[in-house]
Amino acid sequence: MITKKTFITLLLLVSANSTFAETPASLVSGYAAEAAKTSPGFTPSAKRGQSLFTNEWGVSQKMPNCTTCHGKNIKAEGKHVVTEKRIAPFSPAANPERFSSAAKVEKWFKRNCTEVVGRECTAAEKADFIQFITQGG
Amino acid sequence: MKKILIWDIPTRIGHWLLVAVFILSFVTGDSEEWRLFHVAAGYAVGGVLAFRMFWGVAGTRYARFTSFLFSPLQAFRYVIELLKGKPSHWLGHNPAGSYAIYLLILLGFATVVSGFAVYAEIGGEWLEEAHDALSYCMLGIVGIHVLGVIVGSWAHHENLVRSMVHGYKMGNSEEAIDSGKTYWAIAPIATAVLASMLVFIT
Repeated sequence: MITKKTFITLLLLVSANSTFAETPASLVSGYAAEAAKTSPGFTPSAKRGQSLFTNEWGVSQKMPNCTTCHGKNIKAEGKHVVTEKRIAPFSPAANPERFSSAAKVEKWFKRNCTEVVGRECTAAEKADFIQFITQGG
Repeated sequence: MKKILIWDIPTRIGHWLLVAVFILSFVTGDSEEWRLFHVAAGYAVGGVLAFRMFWGVAGTRYARFTSFLFSPLQAFRYVIELLKGKPSHWLGHNPAGSYAIYLLILLGFATVVSGFAVYAEIGGEWLEEAHDALSYCMLGIVGIHVLGVIVGSWAHHENLVRSMVHGYKMGNSEEAIDSGKTYWAIAPIATAVLASMLVFIT
Protein backbone atom coordinates (compact mmCIF):
# COMPACT_ATOMS: atom_id res chain seq x y z
CA MET A 1 0.00 0.00 0.00
CA ILE A 2 2.77 2.40 0.97
CA THR A 3 4.77 1.55 -2.14
CA LYS A 4 1.66 2.11 -4.28
CA LYS A 5 1.12 5.52 -2.69
CA THR A 6 4.77 6.41 -3.19
CA PHE A 7 4.53 5.31 -6.79
CA ILE A 8 1.48 7.48 -7.42
CA THR A 9 3.14 10.43 -5.73
CA LEU A 10 6.26 9.97 -7.86
CA LEU A 11 4.13 9.65 -10.96
CA LEU A 12 2.36 12.90 -10.09
CA LEU A 13 5.65 14.63 -9.44
CA VAL A 14 7.10 13.45 -12.72
CA SER A 15 4.00 14.39 -14.67
CA ALA A 16 3.94 17.83 -13.10
CA ASN A 17 6.04 20.59 -14.59
CA SER A 18 9.18 22.04 -13.02
CA THR A 19 7.27 24.23 -10.52
CA PHE A 20 5.41 21.14 -9.25
CA ALA A 21 2.13 22.73 -10.28
CA GLU A 22 -0.86 20.49 -10.91
CA THR A 23 -2.70 20.02 -14.16
CA PRO A 24 -6.48 19.63 -14.51
CA ALA A 25 -5.89 15.95 -15.34
CA SER A 26 -3.74 15.32 -12.27
CA LEU A 27 -6.35 17.02 -10.10
CA VAL A 28 -9.13 14.88 -11.59
CA SER A 29 -7.18 11.68 -10.96
CA GLY A 30 -6.34 12.79 -7.43
CA TYR A 31 -9.96 13.49 -6.54
CA ALA A 32 -11.12 10.35 -8.37
CA ALA A 33 -8.68 8.22 -6.34
CA GLU A 34 -10.05 9.77 -3.16
CA ALA A 35 -13.64 9.17 -4.28
CA ALA A 36 -12.84 5.55 -5.17
CA LYS A 37 -11.97 4.89 -1.52
CA THR A 38 -15.63 5.20 -0.54
CA SER A 39 -17.24 4.20 -3.86
CA PRO A 40 -15.05 1.55 -5.56
CA GLY A 41 -14.90 1.78 -9.33
CA PHE A 42 -15.65 5.50 -9.39
CA THR A 43 -15.02 7.12 -12.74
CA PRO A 44 -15.28 10.87 -13.26
CA SER A 45 -18.20 12.01 -15.39
CA ALA A 46 -18.28 15.29 -17.30
CA LYS A 47 -22.05 14.95 -17.54
CA ARG A 48 -22.48 14.80 -13.77
CA GLY A 49 -20.02 17.68 -13.53
CA GLN A 50 -22.14 19.75 -15.87
CA SER A 51 -25.26 19.18 -13.82
CA LEU A 52 -23.37 20.35 -10.73
CA PHE A 53 -22.47 23.48 -12.65
CA THR A 54 -25.96 24.27 -13.89
CA ASN A 55 -28.04 22.89 -11.03
CA GLU A 56 -30.26 25.46 -9.34
CA TRP A 57 -29.18 24.90 -5.73
CA GLY A 58 -31.24 27.77 -4.40
CA VAL A 59 -29.29 27.95 -1.15
CA SER A 60 -28.12 31.49 -1.76
CA GLN A 61 -30.76 33.84 -3.11
CA LYS A 62 -28.34 36.04 -4.98
CA MET A 63 -26.21 33.12 -6.16
CA PRO A 64 -28.52 30.16 -6.77
CA ASN A 65 -26.01 28.39 -9.04
CA CYS A 66 -22.46 28.49 -10.37
CA THR A 67 -23.54 30.08 -13.66
CA THR A 68 -24.90 33.13 -11.83
CA CYS A 69 -21.35 34.46 -11.71
CA HIS A 70 -19.32 32.18 -13.97
CA GLY A 71 -21.78 32.37 -16.88
CA LYS A 72 -23.13 29.48 -18.91
CA ASN A 73 -20.26 29.56 -21.39
CA ILE A 74 -17.19 28.26 -19.56
CA LYS A 75 -14.85 29.62 -22.24
CA ALA A 76 -16.12 33.18 -21.77
CA GLU A 77 -15.61 35.62 -18.92
CA GLY A 78 -18.10 35.67 -16.09
CA LYS A 79 -19.36 38.58 -14.02
CA HIS A 80 -19.67 38.59 -10.23
CA VAL A 81 -23.36 39.20 -9.54
CA VAL A 82 -22.68 41.25 -6.40
CA THR A 83 -19.49 43.18 -7.17
CA GLU A 84 -19.93 43.18 -10.96
CA LYS A 85 -16.22 42.43 -11.31
CA ARG A 86 -15.13 40.32 -14.24
CA ILE A 87 -14.24 36.69 -13.61
CA ALA A 88 -11.65 35.05 -15.85
CA PRO A 89 -12.96 32.16 -17.99
CA PHE A 90 -13.44 28.86 -16.18
CA SER A 91 -12.11 26.62 -18.94
CA PRO A 92 -8.35 25.89 -18.91
CA ALA A 93 -8.55 26.01 -22.70
CA ALA A 94 -9.42 29.70 -22.50
CA ASN A 95 -7.50 30.42 -19.31
CA PRO A 96 -4.40 28.24 -18.68
CA GLU A 97 -4.11 29.42 -15.07
CA ARG A 98 -7.25 27.50 -14.16
CA PHE A 99 -6.80 24.24 -12.22
CA SER A 100 -3.04 24.56 -11.96
CA SER A 101 -2.77 24.74 -8.18
CA ALA A 102 -4.27 22.16 -5.82
CA ALA A 103 -4.30 24.60 -2.91
CA LYS A 104 -6.15 27.24 -4.89
CA VAL A 105 -8.66 24.70 -6.23
CA GLU A 106 -9.34 23.40 -2.72
CA LYS A 107 -9.74 26.90 -1.35
CA TRP A 108 -12.30 27.93 -3.96
CA PHE A 109 -14.24 24.66 -3.86
CA LYS A 110 -14.55 25.14 -0.13
CA ARG A 111 -15.66 28.77 -0.32
CA ASN A 112 -18.03 28.46 -3.24
CA CYS A 113 -19.55 25.04 -2.47
CA THR A 114 -20.30 26.14 1.09
CA GLU A 115 -22.10 29.20 -0.14
CA VAL A 116 -23.80 27.97 -3.31
CA VAL A 117 -24.34 24.26 -2.66
CA GLY A 118 -24.85 24.77 1.05
CA ARG A 119 -22.19 22.26 2.08
CA GLU A 120 -18.67 21.26 1.09
CA CYS A 121 -18.40 19.35 -2.18
CA THR A 122 -17.31 15.71 -2.12
CA ALA A 123 -14.17 14.40 -3.82
CA ALA A 124 -16.42 12.68 -6.40
CA GLU A 125 -18.16 15.98 -7.20
CA LYS A 126 -14.83 17.77 -7.53
CA ALA A 127 -13.52 15.10 -9.94
CA ASP A 128 -16.73 15.30 -12.01
CA PHE A 129 -16.63 19.06 -12.00
CA ILE A 130 -13.06 19.44 -13.23
CA GLN A 131 -13.72 16.71 -15.79
CA PHE A 132 -16.61 18.78 -17.14
CA ILE A 133 -14.66 22.04 -17.08
CA THR A 134 -11.79 20.53 -19.07
CA GLN A 135 -13.82 18.42 -21.49
CA GLY A 136 -17.00 20.46 -21.80
CA GLY A 137 -20.52 19.05 -21.52
CA MET B 1 -9.74 58.57 45.22
CA LYS B 2 -12.85 59.34 43.25
CA LYS B 3 -14.39 58.58 39.88
CA ILE B 4 -12.46 60.48 37.24
CA LEU B 5 -12.76 60.66 33.46
CA ILE B 6 -9.93 58.82 31.67
CA TRP B 7 -11.20 57.90 28.19
CA ASP B 8 -12.75 60.71 26.14
CA ILE B 9 -15.88 60.07 24.06
CA PRO B 10 -14.14 59.94 20.63
CA THR B 11 -11.75 57.26 21.94
CA ARG B 12 -14.61 55.18 23.34
CA ILE B 13 -16.81 55.50 20.27
CA GLY B 14 -13.81 54.73 18.07
CA HIS B 15 -13.04 51.67 20.18
CA TRP B 16 -16.51 50.12 20.03
CA LEU B 17 -16.96 51.10 16.41
CA LEU B 18 -13.72 49.27 15.65
CA VAL B 19 -15.01 46.22 17.54
CA ALA B 20 -18.18 46.27 15.45
CA VAL B 21 -16.59 46.74 12.03
CA PHE B 22 -13.82 44.25 12.80
CA ILE B 23 -16.39 41.56 13.69
CA LEU B 24 -18.53 42.40 10.65
CA SER B 25 -15.61 42.24 8.25
CA PHE B 26 -14.20 39.09 9.84
CA VAL B 27 -17.43 37.05 9.66
CA THR B 28 -18.16 38.07 6.06
CA GLY B 29 -14.63 37.29 4.82
CA ASP B 30 -15.45 33.91 3.29
CA SER B 31 -18.62 34.98 1.52
CA GLU B 32 -19.09 36.12 -2.07
CA GLU B 33 -22.69 37.16 -1.42
CA TRP B 34 -21.51 39.50 1.33
CA ARG B 35 -18.43 40.66 -0.58
CA LEU B 36 -19.39 44.33 -0.95
CA PHE B 37 -20.40 44.43 2.69
CA HIS B 38 -17.08 42.84 3.67
CA VAL B 39 -15.09 45.38 1.68
CA ALA B 40 -17.12 48.29 3.09
CA ALA B 41 -16.66 47.02 6.67
CA GLY B 42 -12.94 46.55 6.01
CA TYR B 43 -12.56 50.11 4.74
CA ALA B 44 -14.46 51.26 7.83
CA VAL B 45 -11.78 49.53 9.94
CA GLY B 46 -9.24 51.62 8.06
CA GLY B 47 -11.32 54.76 8.63
CA VAL B 48 -11.55 54.24 12.40
CA LEU B 49 -7.82 53.51 12.58
CA ALA B 50 -7.01 56.64 10.58
CA PHE B 51 -9.00 58.62 13.13
CA ARG B 52 -7.14 56.84 15.94
CA MET B 53 -3.79 57.89 14.46
CA PHE B 54 -4.95 61.49 14.43
CA TRP B 55 -6.38 61.18 17.94
CA GLY B 56 -3.13 59.67 19.14
CA VAL B 57 -1.60 63.08 18.51
CA ALA B 58 -4.55 65.45 18.97
CA GLY B 59 -6.62 63.60 21.58
CA THR B 60 -6.81 63.95 25.34
CA ARG B 61 -4.07 62.83 27.73
CA TYR B 62 -4.58 59.04 27.86
CA ALA B 63 -5.52 58.76 24.19
CA ARG B 64 -2.24 60.30 23.05
CA PHE B 65 0.55 57.96 21.96
CA THR B 66 3.04 59.89 24.12
CA SER B 67 1.11 58.71 27.20
CA PHE B 68 1.69 55.07 26.35
CA LEU B 69 5.15 54.86 24.84
CA PHE B 70 6.84 52.03 26.73
CA SER B 71 9.98 50.02 26.11
CA PRO B 72 9.64 46.28 25.45
CA LEU B 73 11.39 45.74 28.79
CA GLN B 74 8.68 47.71 30.61
CA ALA B 75 6.02 45.63 28.86
CA PHE B 76 7.82 42.43 29.81
CA ARG B 77 8.12 43.56 33.44
CA TYR B 78 4.41 44.34 33.55
CA VAL B 79 3.52 40.85 32.29
CA ILE B 80 5.79 39.32 34.97
CA GLU B 81 4.10 41.48 37.64
CA LEU B 82 0.71 40.41 36.29
CA LEU B 83 1.70 36.73 36.47
CA LYS B 84 2.83 37.26 40.07
CA GLY B 85 -0.57 38.82 40.75
CA LYS B 86 0.86 42.21 41.78
CA PRO B 87 0.91 44.41 38.68
CA SER B 88 1.65 48.13 38.93
CA HIS B 89 -1.41 50.29 38.27
CA TRP B 90 -1.82 52.56 35.26
CA LEU B 91 -4.77 54.85 34.67
CA GLY B 92 -4.29 54.82 30.91
CA HIS B 93 -2.88 51.94 28.87
CA ASN B 94 -0.48 49.72 30.81
CA PRO B 95 2.94 48.91 29.24
CA ALA B 96 1.89 45.48 27.92
CA GLY B 97 -1.54 46.64 26.75
CA SER B 98 0.10 49.46 24.82
CA TYR B 99 1.77 46.95 22.55
CA ALA B 100 -1.58 45.33 21.83
CA ILE B 101 -2.87 48.75 20.73
CA TYR B 102 0.11 49.40 18.45
CA LEU B 103 -0.04 45.91 16.97
CA LEU B 104 -3.78 46.18 16.36
CA ILE B 105 -3.29 49.49 14.56
CA LEU B 106 -0.42 48.14 12.43
CA LEU B 107 -2.11 44.81 11.64
CA GLY B 108 -5.37 46.62 11.00
CA PHE B 109 -3.83 48.90 8.39
CA ALA B 110 -1.89 46.01 6.83
CA THR B 111 -5.07 43.92 6.60
CA VAL B 112 -7.07 46.77 5.08
CA VAL B 113 -4.37 47.68 2.54
CA SER B 114 -3.87 44.04 1.49
CA GLY B 115 -7.64 43.60 1.28
CA PHE B 116 -7.93 46.65 -0.92
CA ALA B 117 -5.19 45.27 -3.20
CA VAL B 118 -6.96 41.90 -3.44
CA TYR B 119 -10.26 43.56 -4.28
CA ALA B 120 -8.62 45.86 -6.84
CA GLU B 121 -6.85 42.78 -8.28
CA ILE B 122 -3.44 44.31 -7.76
CA GLY B 123 -0.86 41.64 -7.02
CA GLY B 124 -1.39 37.93 -7.14
CA GLU B 125 -2.57 34.92 -5.24
CA TRP B 126 -0.07 35.48 -2.44
CA LEU B 127 -1.85 38.69 -1.47
CA GLU B 128 -5.05 36.75 -0.77
CA GLU B 129 -3.06 34.45 1.50
CA ALA B 130 -1.35 37.41 3.16
CA HIS B 131 -4.70 39.14 3.73
CA ASP B 132 -6.06 35.96 5.30
CA ALA B 133 -3.01 35.50 7.53
CA LEU B 134 -3.00 39.15 8.62
CA SER B 135 -6.66 39.00 9.62
CA TYR B 136 -6.01 35.90 11.73
CA CYS B 137 -2.99 37.58 13.35
CA MET B 138 -5.25 40.52 14.16
CA LEU B 139 -7.83 38.16 15.68
CA GLY B 140 -5.02 36.65 17.76
CA ILE B 141 -4.00 40.06 19.12
CA VAL B 142 -7.67 40.84 19.81
CA GLY B 143 -7.78 37.63 21.86
CA ILE B 144 -4.64 38.58 23.80
CA HIS B 145 -6.01 42.11 24.31
CA VAL B 146 -9.31 40.73 25.71
CA LEU B 147 -7.43 38.27 27.91
CA GLY B 148 -5.24 41.11 29.20
CA VAL B 149 -8.35 43.18 29.95
CA ILE B 150 -9.90 40.30 31.91
CA VAL B 151 -6.73 39.55 33.91
CA GLY B 152 -6.02 43.27 34.45
CA SER B 153 -9.59 43.89 35.64
CA TRP B 154 -9.32 41.01 38.07
CA ALA B 155 -5.86 42.00 39.35
CA HIS B 156 -6.80 45.65 39.97
CA HIS B 157 -10.41 45.08 41.04
CA GLU B 158 -11.58 47.50 38.37
CA ASN B 159 -13.89 46.75 35.45
CA LEU B 160 -11.86 47.85 32.44
CA VAL B 161 -14.62 46.99 29.98
CA ARG B 162 -17.05 49.30 31.75
CA SER B 163 -14.37 52.01 31.84
CA MET B 164 -14.17 51.81 28.06
CA VAL B 165 -17.97 52.31 28.02
CA HIS B 166 -18.46 55.21 30.45
CA GLY B 167 -14.87 56.47 30.46
CA TYR B 168 -14.34 56.57 34.24
CA LYS B 169 -11.82 55.00 36.58
CA MET B 170 -10.99 55.57 40.24
CA GLY B 171 -8.14 58.03 40.67
CA ASN B 172 -7.01 61.41 41.95
CA SER B 173 -8.86 64.39 40.52
CA GLU B 174 -5.69 66.02 39.13
CA GLU B 175 -5.20 62.96 36.90
CA ALA B 176 -8.58 63.35 35.19
CA ILE B 177 -9.03 64.64 31.66
CA ASP B 178 -11.58 67.40 31.14
CA SER B 179 -14.78 66.42 29.40
CA GLY B 180 -14.37 68.92 26.56
CA LYS B 181 -13.78 67.83 22.98
CA THR B 182 -17.02 65.81 23.05
CA TYR B 183 -18.03 67.12 19.61
CA TRP B 184 -15.07 65.18 18.25
CA ALA B 185 -17.18 62.05 18.88
CA ILE B 186 -18.53 62.49 15.37
CA ALA B 187 -15.03 62.12 13.87
CA PRO B 188 -14.51 58.33 14.16
CA ILE B 189 -18.04 57.76 12.85
CA ALA B 190 -17.47 60.14 9.95
CA THR B 191 -14.12 58.62 8.96
CA ALA B 192 -15.60 55.10 9.15
CA VAL B 193 -18.60 56.03 6.99
CA LEU B 194 -16.51 57.95 4.46
CA ALA B 195 -13.94 55.15 4.22
CA SER B 196 -16.64 52.51 3.75
CA MET B 197 -18.01 54.51 0.83
CA LEU B 198 -14.77 53.81 -1.03
CA VAL B 199 -16.41 50.50 -1.88
CA PHE B 200 -18.32 52.31 -4.61
CA ILE B 201 -15.20 53.45 -6.43
CA THR B 202 -12.80 50.51 -5.94
